[in-house]
Amino acid sequence: MNSDTLKRTTDFNALVEVEGLNKTYTTEAGEFQVLKNVNLTLHPGEMVSIMGPSGSGKSSLLFILGLFQPPSGGRYRVTGRDVLALDRAEQADFRRNSIGFVFQSCDLLDHSTVFENLEFPLIYGGVAKADRPDMIREALNRVNLGHRIYHPANFLSGGERQRVAVARALVNDPPFILADEPTGQLDTKNGKMVMDHFEHIVQESGKAVLVVTHDPEVGQRCHRLCVLRDGELHESPSGN
Amino acid sequence: MRQRRRYLGVGLIIALGTAGLILIITVGGEVKNKFNQDLDLLGGATLIRVVFDVAPGTRPQQFYPDTVKAVRAMKYVATATVMAVKPTPATSPGRDMPHFRLVGVDGQYWSAVSLQASHGRVFNDQDVAERRRICVIGGEVARDIFGRTDVVGRNLVIDRDTYLIVGVLDILKQGAHLHTAFLPITTAQDRIQDISPPNRLFVRVRTFNHVEQVAAKLPEVITARQSVRGLSIIVAWVRLKRVQNVAFLIESFVLVSTFAALVLGGFGIWNMMMAAVRNRTREIGLKKAMGAEDRDILAQFLAESMVLSLGAVTVGIILGRIGVELTSLWLGTHPPESLFFTAVGMGLAFALIIGVGAGLYPSMQAARMQVVYALRYE
Repeated sequence: MNSDTLKRTTDFNALVEVEGLNKTYTTEAGEFQVLKNVNLTLHPGEMVSIMGPSGSGKSSLLFILGLFQPPSGGRYRVTGRDVLALDRAEQADFRRNSIGFVFQSCDLLDHSTVFENLEFPLIYGGVAKADRPDMIREALNRVNLGHRIYHPANFLSGGERQRVAVARALVNDPPFILADEPTGQLDTKNGKMVMDHFEHIVQESGKAVLVVTHDPEVGQRCHRLCVLRDGELHESPSGN
Repeated sequence: MRQRRRYLGVGLIIALGTAGLILIITVGGEVKNKFNQDLDLLGGATLIRVVFDVAPGTRPQQFYPDTVKAVRAMKYVATATVMAVKPTPATSPGRDMPHFRLVGVDGQYWSAVSLQASHGRVFNDQDVAERRRICVIGGEVARDIFGRTDVVGRNLVIDRDTYLIVGVLDILKQGAHLHTAFLPITTAQDRIQDISPPNRLFVRVRTFNHVEQVAAKLPEVITARQSVRGLSIIVAWVRLKRVQNVAFLIESFVLVSTFAALVLGGFGIWNMMMAAVRNRTREIGLKKAMGAEDRDILAQFLAESMVLSLGAVTVGIILGRIGVELTSLWLGTHPPESLFFTAVGMGLAFALIIGVGAGLYPSMQAARMQVVYALRYE
């Protein structure tokens, strides 16, 4: 199935709708199109993985969906809202309230505690100080790290760091989670644990999760598996 | 670690600059006064002498108490004092019947000409008012009469009257005073036959910057209270000009150094904030990914810049205060607290200017950074 077959008209149940998305980089060597007419739809309670070789445009797609960079063309709607039309402040507001992002390198602020790392999204979201500890504790409990709440981030193990990163993506309770290679730097045991958490979150709260991965096992655990090759998105039938 | 050392270095520069500024503003005036007094020992650049320049044989003139009082009340005048002089040398029984200069002065004379006794004390306004038979003598007079200078408590005989010696002036710099005996002016006028009326007026100006102004105003103040003929105002203009030049150079140098330190501190903060933005590019990207707006990032880096400059200025204020206390101790005086608080206000204003001025551009760079650029920055 190529990207065209993924194209839908309007899906009223869809949380995320991407239509005809293109991304072209202009370099000294000329123009380089990394995404070609990408179409994708995610529904609440759905976990979709995107696989593909290095340089296939996985991260570019994820960054566009996170509003970290603009596409060269196409449409991107979340709950029916055209988020590409937002100004800078509105984009920040969208990132605060509508998406959670888990990075490949489990980027935590090393000189801060776990609590402080999870507090930043709440501060930017204007959550009252008194409400923050409960929200942080709840997010950490979801990844079984409630006991590490005041632990310095740089003293956590790799698996714990990635689970804290997942908790940070959840703390604002966004409907849409983007995860860039969430198990890429973890051993099998910890990788499995993180994916268990994602599955649990999707089942429990009906969030939509988009996971970019190299790992076929991770891909197999998602409801749908898409492959990005030469800038084109193809849905694979091997999803869970 | 390197970053921390850089923070410390910049903080220290700003702290020293602020301490210097506070010291100059708070005790600069006192130091100038002290400088004036010390200069006086070298020749009296801030001492104005007022005499009657009239032909011999004309009716003698004098400065009346009201006139002296009015001169003392003049703006920028530290003190004024009158002197009566015995025109012929006085003698006292001694080894070779030595001759010496005899003058009558009031209690303000000593501070006006910056003289201190090396033995005993000088006499004061009360001694003058009570017309006490005491005297202060120069070291050479003491040596000529007694063969030594520790003669406080002994009597000096002049014209068959005895005067208790209460102090001896015996400091090398005191020049002509070493050959002089000083009586309270009231006592001298009562007991010394041919003593002149108080016809010499010495006016000590607070700083050398105001000597010209006071000298110009003096005839008007004096003639408003008494009729005078041949009033002569004597100022050591050449010496004064030199002192003013030297003081201006020193003051300018210190001020320029202080401002240079503060500007240098500003550049240091700018440089450090640029480095901080570069080093923390991923952190900026991460925070923006978490929903931070441009203004959040701007506020964060501006706050860091402000904390650094305010912290440094606070340390500078503490160092400045210590400097003020030590200088006050050295000068034996204490400047008004209001001056210190003015300097503190200026220091804080500088902190604000440096913190915002030097931190604004790097903070704006951080705030305007594209999320994808920041996240991909290695």
